[in-house]
Amino acid sequence: MSERIDVLIIGAGPAGVAAGIGAKREGAEHVVVIERDWDLGGILQQCIHPGFGLRTFKEELTGPEYMHRFIQQAHEAGVEFRTNTMVFQIDRENNTVWTMNKERGIEALNPGAIVLTMGCRERPLGAIRIPGTRPAGIYTAGTAQRFVNMEGYMPGKRAVILGSGDIGLIMARRMIWEGATVEGVYEVMSWPGGLRRNIAQCLDDYGIPFHLKTTVTRVHGQDRLEGVTVAQVDDHMTPIKGTERFVECDTLLLAIGLIPENELSRMAGIDIHPVTGGPVVNDLLQTTNPAVFAAGNVVIVYDLVDNVSDEGLIAGANAAKFSAGKIPADIKRIPVKGGENVRLYSPQYVTGQTDATIFMRVTHPVEQACRVFAVSDNGTELYSQRLRYARPGEMNEVRLKTAKLAEAGEVSAITVDIQPV
Amino acid sequence: MSEERKFICVSCPLGCGLTVTLDDSGEVVKVEGNTCPRGESYARSEVKDPRRVFASTVRVKGGKLPVCPVRSKTPAPKGKLFEIAREVAGVVAEAPVKIGQVLIHNVCGTDVDIVASRDLEAV
Repeated sequence: MSERIDVLIIGAGPAGVAAGIGAKREGAEHVVVIERDWDLGGILQQCIHPGFGLRTFKEELTGPEYMHRFIQQAHEAGVEFRTNTMVFQIDRENNTVWTMNKERGIEALNPGAIVLTMGCRERPLGAIRIPGTRPAGIYTAGTAQRFVNMEGYMPGKRAVILGSGDIGLIMARRMIWEGATVEGVYEVMSWPGGLRRNIAQCLDDYGIPFHLKTTVTRVHGQDRLEGVTVAQVDDHMTPIKGTERFVECDTLLLAIGLIPENELSRMAGIDIHPVTGGPVVNDLLQTTNPAVFAAGNVVIVYDLVDNVSDEGLIAGANAAKFSAGKIPADIKRIPVKGGENVRLYSPQYVTGQTDATIFMRVTHPVEQACRVFAVSDNGTELYSQRLRYARPGEMNEVRLKTAKLAEAGEVSAITVDIQPV
Repeated sequence: MSEERKFICVSCPLGCGLTVTLDDSGEVVKVEGNTCPRGESYARSEVKDPRRVFASTVRVKGGKLPVCPVRSKTPAPKGKLFEIAREVAGVVAEAPVKIGQVLIHNVCGTDVDIVASRDLEAV
């Protein structure tokens, strides 16, 4: 007879650690978090810059400091962590989770509920098909961050950064502080991928050139990267002839987006949303497999770790409720739809059981006063909030109150959108 | 003659666009564009004594990782960041390292301490 695990959580990053705390607070007895690394904390252990947790702790912490506080809370709450342990399969018929560890060997676990908190991965070079050679010196920004901040290696002396996601911007400053030069940041879109404050404090502070509507069209070098060709692009993102320019560099860092990591979710037979790349979830963060919950960047890539932790707490608590038989199988599912200017959003269903936050990103920037709102199919406005602007790089939120939803009467769909006012 | 300076607030992820008006003697007359008091104080400090939190790593002897992350406990003068970076680069800590442990006291005479930002066990 195997041990009884009430809630099993996969991944001890910010979402998983919070899910552990959430499950214990909800009364689950045996809560286990599986982590493949030797250490807890996930990617935040390499995010050594400040900027985390202002909302949660009212001060700006570095990644390791932020995780330290949550890990302490999890230990105090009695969450069990199994490090150096890999989940290599989830059986969709009976939700058996197969784990592997050097001391414990291979184990088949049958928990009362599962929480998926595997986070996301960076888009690699292969995703954008840049012509040219394949020399050493090309890394994703996060790989370079790990080299510098955890392994003590500098990836190069003269860097070009492709893409303006936050990790790329943070790495531009990090390389400068470590004595390298950064030739420029090139972004194919006409707006930045990362937060404005990171453009200010990571690029502007050090005079690093930032080029919008420009991309890398070729890499050069045999053994080691010797340079890249950059070119401006037109409105269809096609390189404009005659604008090509050679930029000498020995390092190319890619900050071209993050993709939720759902190999295990697919094994578990869970529906994956084609746009978010994460599990389809309701506002309890329950996936299309009722015993499986999901939270954090595995669901949708967030801007702020505070949101990831909040979602982890919710998923953990609901997984504990499910494990205790407190979530009915026939729970209501009101579909949420994205309006004209919504590229992606999550959750895709609401139950009406709980106040819900719907996270979303616009397709195109709105550089004027606008409002983010939710309206039901019977014409009731469920939420409306004025904004000074809306940008794809900065997530927006709709907060749905159960009371408001109940007042609206018979609702069979909700649309969320952002429009100028 | 008054002077206007524009920059992005870095106090929180909102990134408000600030406009600071200074009088002839360089005193702040008004701050616009901020949406909270943190923005106001950031704007005042940015024109008089710009500061940033510095974050890097130090070498570690006998630790589970070869380097340990460190930060300036409080924001350090922006003009001294490279000098601080050089001093931090010369430090070698002995494992175990405790979070909050002071590794450089009063770095480069700035009255700012460099502290470890994680626990790092010995091997």
